[in-house]
This record gives sequence, C-alpha cells and structure tokens, in this order.
Amino acid sequence: MFLTKRHIPRRTFLRGAGAAVALPFLESMLPAQTPLASSAANPVSRASFIYIPHGAIMSQWTPAQQGTRFDLPPILQSLEPFRDQLTVVSGLEAAMAGPATGESGGDHSRSAAVFLSGARPKHTAGSDVYLGTTVDQLVARKIGQDTPLPSLELGIEDVGYTGICGYGYSCSYLNTISWETPTKPLPMEINPQVVFERLFGDGATAEERIERKKQDRSILDSITHDVARLKKQIGPSDRNRLTDYLDDIREIERRLKLAETAGADSTQAETPIGIPQSFDEHVKLMYDLQVLAFKAEITRVSTFMYSRDNSNRTFPASGVTAPFHGASHHSNRPEAIATYARINAYHISLLGHFLERLRSTPDGDGTLLDHSLVVLGSTMSNGNEHDHAPLPMLIAGGVSGQLRGGRHLQFPARTPLSNLMLACLHKLGIEKESIGDSTGALDI
Amino acid sequence: MKVRPGLLLPAFAWILVSGCFSSAVGAPAPQSGAATARTFLDQYCTGCHNDKAKVGGLSLQSLDVSLVSHNAQSWEKVVKKLRAGLMPPSGAHRPELSSINAFSGWLEGELDRGSAKLVAAAPTMHRLNRAEYANAVRDLLGLEVDTTTLLPADDSSYGFDNMAGTLGVSAALMERYLAAGAKLSRLAIGNANAVPSQKTYSAPADMTQNYHVEGLPFGTRGGLLIRHQFPADGEYAIRVDFLRDYNGSMFGANAKGERLEVSVNGERIRLFDIDTEVIKAGFVETKPLEVRVPLKAGLQSIGVTFPARNYGPVEDSFQPFERSVITLTLGKDWTVLPHVGSVTVTGPFQASGIADTPSRQRIFSCRPASAQQEPACARTIVSTLARRAFRRPVTDEDLESVMSFYEFGRAGKSFESGIELALRRILASPDFVFRLQSEPSSIKAGATYRISDIQLASRLSFFLWSSIPDDELLRVAERGRLRQPTVLEQQVRRMLADPRAEALVSNFGGQWLYLRNLPSIVPALNEFPDFDDNLRQSFRRETEMFLGSIIREDRSIHELLNGNYTFVNERLARHYGIPNVYGSQFRRVTLTDESRRGLLGQGSVLLATSYATRTSPVLRGKWILENILGTPPPEPPPNVPALKESTAAGSAAADSPSVRQRLEEHRANPSCSSCHRMMDPIGFALENFDAVGKWRSKDGRTAVDASGVLVDGTKVTGPASLRQGLMRYSEQFSRTVAEKLLTYGLGRGVEYYDMPVVRSIVRDAARNDYRFSSFILGIVQSQPFQMAVKQQQ
Repeated sequence: MFLTKRHIPRRTFLRGAGAAVALPFLESMLPAQTPLASSAANPVSRASFIYIPHGAIMSQWTPAQQGTRFDLPPILQSLEPFRDQLTVVSGLEAAMAGPATGESGGDHSRSAAVFLSGARPKHTAGSDVYLGTTVDQLVARKIGQDTPLPSLELGIEDVGYTGICGYGYSCSYLNTISWETPTKPLPMEINPQVVFERLFGDGATAEERIERKKQDRSILDSITHDVARLKKQIGPSDRNRLTDYLDDIREIERRLKLAETAGADSTQAETPIGIPQSFDEHVKLMYDLQVLAFKAEITRVSTFMYSRDNSNRTFPASGVTAPFHGASHHSNRPEAIATYARINAYHISLLGHFLERLRSTPDGDGTLLDHSLVVLGSTMSNGNEHDHAPLPMLIAGGVSGQLRGGRHLQFPARTPLSNLMLACLHKLGIEKESIGDSTGALDI
Repeated sequence: MKVRPGLLLPAFAWILVSGCFSSAVGAPAPQSGAATARTFLDQYCTGCHNDKAKVGGLSLQSLDVSLVSHNAQSWEKVVKKLRAGLMPPSGAHRPELSSINAFSGWLEGELDRGSAKLVAAAPTMHRLNRAEYANAVRDLLGLEVDTTTLLPADDSSYGFDNMAGTLGVSAALMERYLAAGAKLSRLAIGNANAVPSQKTYSAPADMTQNYHVEGLPFGTRGGLLIRHQFPADGEYAIRVDFLRDYNGSMFGANAKGERLEVSVNGERIRLFDIDTEVIKAGFVETKPLEVRVPLKAGLQSIGVTFPARNYGPVEDSFQPFERSVITLTLGKDWTVLPHVGSVTVTGPFQASGIADTPSRQRIFSCRPASAQQEPACARTIVSTLARRAFRRPVTDEDLESVMSFYEFGRAGKSFESGIELALRRILASPDFVFRLQSEPSSIKAGATYRISDIQLASRLSFFLWSSIPDDELLRVAERGRLRQPTVLEQQVRRMLADPRAEALVSNFGGQWLYLRNLPSIVPALNEFPDFDDNLRQSFRRETEMFLGSIIREDRSIHELLNGNYTFVNERLARHYGIPNVYGSQFRRVTLTDESRRGLLGQGSVLLATSYATRTSPVLRGKWILENILGTPPPEPPPNVPALKESTAAGSAAADSPSVRQRLEEHRANPSCSSCHRMMDPIGFALENFDAVGKWRSKDGRTAVDASGVLVDGTKVTGPASLRQGLMRYSEQFSRTVAEKLLTYGLGRGVEYYDMPVVRSIVRDAARNDYRFSSFILGIVQSQPFQMAVKQQQ
C-alpha cells in the first residue's frame, strides 16, 4: 500500500526546491541502465531534421568563400551567433525529386518524400504507396528505442489531404517527410497541445502535471501489490507473464520519475491551447517542444516540416505579404527575387530560435546543441524552375564531438543529397552502406 | 452432411467395394472402414501425396488408416480439402461427390471418436484490447469516447485482434493504458477547472457533399455531424473550415448565396452567410468561421451543414462524376459548391461547473449531504464501480486499496477528486485490464477443470459484447446459476438481443469480412472517378446491416451466401443499379439481380479484395478460400516473380495483356499452379464486378470473361453460378463460420484438435437450420469455452 503521508511532504519539498530541480537534468536521474543511456561521460546525440519546401534564392544563400573563412550571405545572416556550430553544405542534388524518364512535372508532389529517403516515390495516387525508410527512422531505431517516444514528427500545416495531390501522386508523399517503413508514412502532428500532452501528460499547470505523475506512481506502486496477490491465484505460465508485466510497471515508474523532472522544467512553457494562429508563434512553439523533449530525453529524434509543398501560406512577420508558393515562382524579376529571399531569411531566422534554445540548455558536460545534429534544407533549389540542384542545405550542432562547425563545404555539382544523409547516419553511429540514391558518405 | 458419422461407415465401405454409386445405405460391410479408406486413398490421392513426391508437404502413403487419431493433424487437412471440394485437383481422376463425402464422413467419425480429451481450452490471460476497453468504459461509466486517440491499435493474428497470445504487454503500452484511465476518469467525473483544449474533426477529402447527410436536418446539403464529449459547462468555440484543394484554395469559392448552419443537438445556433462572411479570394488565407456558445458538460452533437438552396448537383454545371471533389492538377476542381472540411472544438473558456451528465448519474450512486457521510458514500460508489470493472465480487482487500486512493484524492480537495483518483486506480488495475484465470489448488497440473460461473460470465460478455458483464449477468453468475444449461441459454439469447451485441458485427464481422480495411483503401482516382467516401461508408454499412440482420433475426448463416435481400441507400442503389431508392437512409430491399445476392455481391467484399487500379481474381479467390471455405492457401513460395504489371494506363490499354492472360502465364510455373488453379477460377467468376464492385461487361475495351471451371469440375459463368457452386459446400461454409466464431470467442487460434468440437457445433446447428444463435450456443456450451487445463509447473 502506498503511504499518503509520504507524498504530500515530498510534493511540498519539490515545490520549494526549485534549485534542485533546475540542476543539470542528468544528475537527477541515474536509474537508466540501458547501454545507450546518456551520461555526462558518454552523451547520446539527438537529431532533428527540418524541411522547408520550394527552395531558396541560392545567390543569397551560398557563401562566396569556402572553408572556415567565409561571410554569411543575407539569407543566413541571422545565424551569425551560431557560426561556430554551423556548416553550410553546397553542391548537393535531390535527383529523385525530378521527373522520371518520360514523366513531366510533379516536382512538388515528390520533393518532401525525397528529402530524408533519397528514394523515388512510386508513382501512384492509390493506397499502394512505396518510398523507403527515412533517415530519421533509421536513427530512431538506433537511439530512440530506450526513450518513451522513439521519434517525434511535427508539422505546421493541416495535412488532412488524402487521395491525389497532383500529377498522380498520393498525398502521403506531401503530408510527411518521415516514413517508418517504405510503405508506412508517419503523420506529422501540428497541434502543440497534443504534442505537449504526449510529452508531459495532461494537466493545466506544471504543478498539476507533477502531482498527477506522483499519483500515477502511487497507483503503480499499489498495482505491484495486486500483481503479488494475483500471482498466487494463477497458473505458472501466466505467473511468468505477470512477472514481465511487473517489470514493465517498474519501467514506467522509472520513466515517470524522469518525466517529473521534465515536467518541472516545462513550467517555462505553458500548456498551449490548440494551434496558434500566427506562423511565428507556432513554429517557435514547435521548436520549444523539441528542445524540451530532447532535454528530458522523452525522445531523441524529431522531424519538422515548415510547410507542405504548394502551400500558399503568407508570413506577415517576414514583412512580405506574398504567398509562399506563388513567391517562389519569382520569374527572375529582381523585386520578386528580393521578396522571396526575405521569406527565406525569415524562415532561417526561426531556426535561430531553435539553435539558441538548444545552446542555452545544459546537457551532460555541455549543451544540448553540443550533442545534437540539426539538418535543415529543401529538396528544391530554384523554386521558379523546380530544379533540384544545387540545394540549400545546412547542418548544425556538435553531434557529441563528431561534427565541427564554422565551415562552408562545397562539393562537386550534383553530389547526391543522400550522401550527406548517409554521412549523418555515420556520425550518429549507424552503420549503413547506402540509402536511396547515395553513392558514398560525404566527408563532413 | 446431416448424417451422423457413425452411420456412414457401412455405406461407405459398401459403395467403394461394389463400385455401385446409386445404391441405398444399409448393406453390411464386407471390408473394414480402414481397408476401404486405404483403397480410396491409393486410388485417388497417393499418386501425388506419396512418400517420394510429397506434394504440398503431405504424404498419405504410409499413414496408418486404422489409427486415424494418431495422425489427426494430417487427416484434418485431408478432411478440409475434401469438404471444400478442392481435392483431388482439377484434371485428376475424381470420384463422385457422394463417395468423397462418404470417405470424409468416415474420417471425421474416426477423428471425433479419438478426441474425447480436451487438449486446449480458452487462454487464461487476456488483455482488454482497444475495442473492449472502449466498450468497458462505456458500460462502466456511461462514457462514449473515441479510444483510437488514447490507445494504439492492437496486433492481430488468426484474423482477429482479440487473440490472447498476440495481445502483448509492454511498458510503453501500459503507460498508454495508465494515461487513458486518468483521462477518462477525469472526463467521466467532469472537471470544473478544465482548461481549454482543442479537437479537430476532419471530413474525408473524398467525401461528396452534394446531398443530404443522414442525421443532419432534412433540407440540408453535405456537412459533418460530430459527437463531442465536453469536459465541463462553459463557453466553447466551434470553428469551421472548408474543404480545400491541396493548393489551399477553398472548393466552391465562387458559389453565390451559400450559407452555413451550425447546430448543437439539432438546434441552430448560427447561420453564416458565406458571400459576406468568408474571404474567398485567391491566395489570401481564408478566415475560418467561428462561433462561441455556452455548452453543458457531457456528450453533445454538433452539426455543420449547408441549407440546400436547390438540388445541389444541378449547380455543378460540369459534374460528370459521382464524386464532387476531384483535384487532378493545380487549381482544377469539379464542384462549385463549398464543402465542410473540418470542425474544431476549443474550450471551455471560463468553465462554470459540471452538468449532471449520464456519467455522473451512473457514478454517483449516492451523494453525501455532509462530511460525515462521505466515507460511507465513497465506499458504496467505489465498491459498485470495482465490482463491475473487476467483473467479480469485491473483496475487502480490493476495497481497502481503492479507498486509500479515495482518501488520498480527497485530502485537501473535494469528495469528487477522491472518487476520481479511486476511479483512476480501478481503471489501472490488472483486475480491470486483464482477464485472468484463477486455478483451483486441489487438482493436478494437466488436469481439466470447469471454470467458475464468474469467469464464464466474463468469457460470455467479451465474446458477445466485447465488454464487461452487466449487472444481471454478474448477478446470475454470483448465484452460481450461470452454468445451468437453461439459464446459460436464456442469458445468451438475452445478450444477443441486446444492442451491445452490435459488437459481434463491428468486431467479429468487421475483421472476418475485412470491413475494417475499407477506410484505408483508396481506389485510383483516374480509374474510378466516381468512387467517394460516401460509397465507401455505404459499403461498410450495407454489410454491417446485412450481418446484423442475420444475427438479430436469427437467420440461417447460409443466407450470408445466398440471401435474397440487402440494405441500400440512394447512393448505393445507384451504384448497384437498383431503381426507386431515394434518400440517404438505408432500407431493406429484396434483390432481383441474382448476381448481387449474398456477401459475394456486396461492394465491401469486392472492394476489399481489389487493388487500387484493378480487380484481383487472386485476392478474391484467396478471400473465398480463406473466409468462405476455411482453406487458406499457403503463402506463395519465395522467389516467385510478381505478376507483370501492365502499362501505367492499366488493363484499359488495348494492346496490354489482360489480367487473365497474365495470370495464365503465371500459372504455367508449376510452383504457382497448385494453388492458383484453385483460387483463380473462383476469382475470375467475379470479374463482372470491377475493383469498386460496380457491374461491368467490359474491362477496358475487352469483354469480361467470367467463365471458368471450379476444382470439382463445376462450370461457372459469373457471380450467380459461382454462388450456386459454392452452396454445394454450404456445410463447409458452416464449419468455417463456426471455426471463425470459435477463434474469436476463445481468443486463440483454432487448431486441428479443435475440429471435432467445430463439427459438433455444426451438427447441432444443422438441427436448428443453421441459425446464428445455434452456433453461438454451440460455442458457449463447448468444452474449450467452459473448461480450462491446469498449467504445468
């Protein structure tokens, strides 16, 4: 039986002991014994893959110089504070996003699917979709299995589109960048409230969430007594299964303890109510949630889509009123190019928010940014032409000492994007010979 | 076969020996049954099934026919193949059906005689699956919730997702159960301090909204009807967005004079004028419509629809297809009428209290007038809930444990918080989440024993209702009367008549007949532009109502194959070519078209067994072998090339070979032909139904050829003659139904050693004209259902 008296003082203690809670997260959670468990001495990396459709104005994206001494061009200017942990990767191509032989058009219908798979989506509008397992899911299989959520898939725009999404391609290819298997697209969650509750449980305030977690733990504790009683009544093989169940109960208790700490941290973010109307606020909130999830190791892998291909969303905070897809078709008119570049720069400035939050969050012997890999880019280059090379791509974070920043890497023209993705897998300790159309891992 | 197996033996022996097939039963046997059987085997079977060739991995050459029960597993295979008319294969020398039946009958008699002992009973540890959890919560708390967002889907095996062995347990899963219990407890009690939350209900993108939607007011067109659980009294925002193409533009943006009505529980709360209140121009983000309204806690229905101004489709000047919303390339759509895309409910803003919801009425069986009365009242509430949830009388230990949570929740808070926490404890309990079999200590391991009445009550309710027992069933069980056959039968009949027995349709039928797969099937738009969600829903509804009528009216299960009636609404009737059916509501019609009779004429089955672009005779043949004849073909051997796909234009292209030609090519490969020559002719007989179940006489430009010869030599020319051909094996169909129901009822796979039980169920059902209830009663009274085997140490 749980002891009521034991609980209330402890809650009171926690409430008053903000300092204890604010201690670097890992010190307060030792019980994890899995080989992949992160510790200060052996940090486990986190990985985030971010997709922005429609390409960018490459002349204002690509640094003029190569190597470590380069100036950040206008679109990337806002990332200056993170230059040390930033690598611009140029010269890449997403060939699979282009039309197959004998096919014309459909570039927007394929682009999102190709980003993390490097594979050509099967040309179908029916339910027989086929792509490839995406990089994030390969990572999740390795470093996501001992966290409560193997991976987190986030989006901004409603993806309630089914059936056909142009040029005979299924909407599944546009709705997500994450595929668990070649035939299983994972839905992107757009509601921050749903994400929040998935991460931290429900409850109006952090205090209430913590209280509910404590109640859960009392319930679990009490259930172990039920199991002991039931074991006396049932047959031996069922008894073995109940023993496994008991192990599960203990595992949940361990996670709850972990999550209680995370819940205390989540006080900074109030439970969001539904979906913010403003793009700015929505994107920042989604970034905050990824930071919280990484910090508490509720998950270590995330994917995030700024928008779906063909979206005509407007971004008032960018100072431009042109709709996204429309603006990407700038017809090479200088003023339209300038307009689109402002949208690009605005999107990149929001990444700054993410990098800043990662950098200011302690993790083990460093910061979350030190232990993360952030990949951001598009599978389109010049949106006006729908071409797929050279791509706007950048990677950030230290990947636990595996990646050095402050560089602009120029690869030979039309190097497969999959080669970069393959290199990312290797940085995260995942042995894989090839993915999609890769021809070998890039030296990054 | 209605003849008892015992009687068959002499007749069988005599027939074979005399070589005369027309003589009557009754002459004395000059040869033993075993010797006759051996003669039969050597004459018809061992040409392939010998020790050397071992076709299909089976040799009958050296199996001892005088000890049939020693090789029951092999002989049961033989029986099935013979009873389904699938052996000997087409082209081989084949005896008369009567002598095949005589031989099978003799084998069955031998098998049944050797199987007195119970080999395996129902499983003893069974987690509630998602559907059962949802129903249990509904019956326990009067709470109707969509558990698909709370719990993950369960894996299935043997065709069902309630198989004890497959319903695994993991920390991640139990965490979800714990969270679900917490959420539901709060929802049931109500939360006066609820903070706003948001839920969006979306219309399927291929839903046509040109017609009236059943359940919405007459005189309206399209829209959504949703049922939402409100956590507290307060103000809620209902936001409506329109269906958009993938480019973000609203369908029907150019419509004039359209209005949108929002209603709660049938009462209009707001009428929007779309012309003036919606910004529809080009790329500008359109503003969703929002109405704020005070609402009470509990389940309410929200309707969002368009008042019909005129006959909708007339407005669509260019409307060649049934499906109204079609996007082929950028910016092109057919409909000029706005469609509802989603409804989002947000709230409560300023929660003001909790109305007396049905859940609260059910939970609060007493209400304390003073603090002194609280503990006693809590005890009453908690023990009532725990008894129903645990499905057994509550012990002092149970009560003490749950009450301590009441006290924990009560401390410093309200009586209701105490009850809420106690409820959370109950829903998290293994006594709720698992069905566990307690074993008697007095008997030896391996010995069989009869399960208690209390446990029988749960087996019964989870079988028929996918839910917990109700008060009456529990009461009868607690008095120890449930095991009395008359009481048991009375309870079964009562339960089958109860609306909760709908679970047999949705869970058993939904999985047996693949209805659950329908939502994920998206026929290719280019090939089937008429197909829309309305049709998909109608298909499901038709088959559910059809199966429901067999159950409710206690009809012969053979009517599932050849019933002369079905259920249609206007949309479906048009699809089937049935005249004079108008409106969105379903009604029973008598079929005059022989091809449409029974399950094989229903769109649900035909769609579920097709590919996105074309029919698949193989899938259809396989479906019938598996679900009608109970003889699933083995998986294809490895390294078999797939059927050559035709060009992108599909079978419509004149120069591409037809599916039939390609399959015939495929069958030339001997490793394929052994199964395909069973499956394919069956599937080809249904070729007059296209991939969405519409009648056709041409496939592209070629005439449909639905002819073929079944394994038993029966010539078929289409769906009607296929059905007649299959009805010759109605006995085997009965066994298949019994086997499927037994699988579902026990929660484990049915194996060869269960077949004597299956046959006995069907024999008894035969005496009751194969009525549905006779199958259920047969299962409920069977040994595996009522007995258990004590586990080995």
